[in-house]
Amino acid sequence: MATGAQPRAGIWTTRWTTLTLVLIPVGIAINFVGKFVAQALKLPLWLDSIGTVLAAFIAGPWVGALTGALNNIIYGLTVDPVSFWYFITSVGIGLSAGIMARLGFIRSTPRAVVAGLAVALVATVVSFPINVYLWGGQTGNVWGDALFTALTLRGVPLWLASFLDELVVDLPDKVLTVLIAFGLFKALPRRLLSQFELGEGELRRTA
Amino acid sequence: MRPVGLYVERWSPLHALDPISKLVYAICLALVPFVAGDLRVTFVALAGNLALLAVGRVVREGLLALAGVGFFLATLFLVQGMVYPGNATPLVSVGPLVLYREGLAYAVWLTARFVNLTLSAFVLLFTTRPADLVDELVRAGLPPRAGYVLLSVLQIIPSMAARISAIQDAQRSRGMETEGPIWVRMRALLPVLGPLVISSLVAMQERALALEVRGFGAPGPRTLYRPPWRHRLAWPVRLAAVSALLGALVWRLAG
Repeated sequence: MATGAQPRAGIWTTRWTTLTLVLIPVGIAINFVGKFVAQALKLPLWLDSIGTVLAAFIAGPWVGALTGALNNIIYGLTVDPVSFWYFITSVGIGLSAGIMARLGFIRSTPRAVVAGLAVALVATVVSFPINVYLWGGQTGNVWGDALFTALTLRGVPLWLASFLDELVVDLPDKVLTVLIAFGLFKALPRRLLSQFELGEGELRRTA
Repeated sequence: MRPVGLYVERWSPLHALDPISKLVYAICLALVPFVAGDLRVTFVALAGNLALLAVGRVVREGLLALAGVGFFLATLFLVQGMVYPGNATPLVSVGPLVLYREGLAYAVWLTARFVNLTLSAFVLLFTTRPADLVDELVRAGLPPRAGYVLLSVLQIIPSMAARISAIQDAQRSRGMETEGPIWVRMRALLPVLGPLVISSLVAMQERALALEVRGFGAPGPRTLYRPPWRHRLAWPVRLAAVSALLGALVWRLAG
């Protein structure tokens, strides 16, 4: 079977098993670790949703959305209260990643890039109104905010400048996140993935 | 390795208060400025939160944690001072950059609101063990499986973080570079994340089996190991927090 393709499953079908429930905390932990590694390597990216995207790839949009939501709730309850506000962004990331996966966009690297662009767009569209409300349009990322300032001083409307501020950070971040998740997904043992498979459930062997 | 979260283990009257009351308090007080839309009310809420952090004996830890976002707050003043749409009265000019009074006032408002939200949450987070909070939430009606998901994250993260450094050392000894220009550091991502994520997902299967064997998927009601957390001030605190929020609403409506 081609990687990630689950041809007979509907986009929204989910297999709720104990394994699915255990996948969620592991996904959240991967998010945390991705963020930690990005900081340790001093990368100018967040990389804090690799686990959400991976969970969505493995078990579908609903599991992705739940992983995203719980991720921000736990993060808000333990480390950073502001992440509560962005929980809707994480839900969007999980949903869009899961939908793209079920639509067959994680069969090859070029398709995965398209999936990454879609996830980035969703994340931006959902986040920037929150940024406008909470921070007058800023994101807290130095590069994005520099662009925001330059644009606004040239008379670009606040909403558009804020959208671009978020997009310029989210685009590389989410495309890279999806590509990393795609690479990890392809490396996962078939024995593991087969337990999340929908449909008749027989294991078909192809190269 | 240190457990995840901000909880500080020590004795204080705030540590003794039940988690649900503190959760109600944190949510209500964090929302007060958003509802009231008034800077003076926000400062009152801020002062209340600081006083409670003092009661919880965690003021120093709270302010240290807040210092981490100092840089972002500084950029907030700089950027809003320059670009806030309502800017009209120039206040300071540094070279070609002009900071306006309206933008700076707006930044003060955003900052006060943010600091209040953070301190409200700190009243809960610094004085409550996450496990206790989840236990009480399950008692109050949260599905036990959701409770498991929340708590297991807090156990998985430390074990994964401990494995990262082992993997980093192993990969470095095989020639992985972790310093240098950005593309070199970028290349170090996969050799670290790959083994970590894949081994965690494989271990996940074993965890699911272990849970199944112990009746995780079994139907029927669940019992809790710990007795309910009772505190004589629980209801007074919850009522006070809710009335503070309602007061903010009245303030807004009365203009």
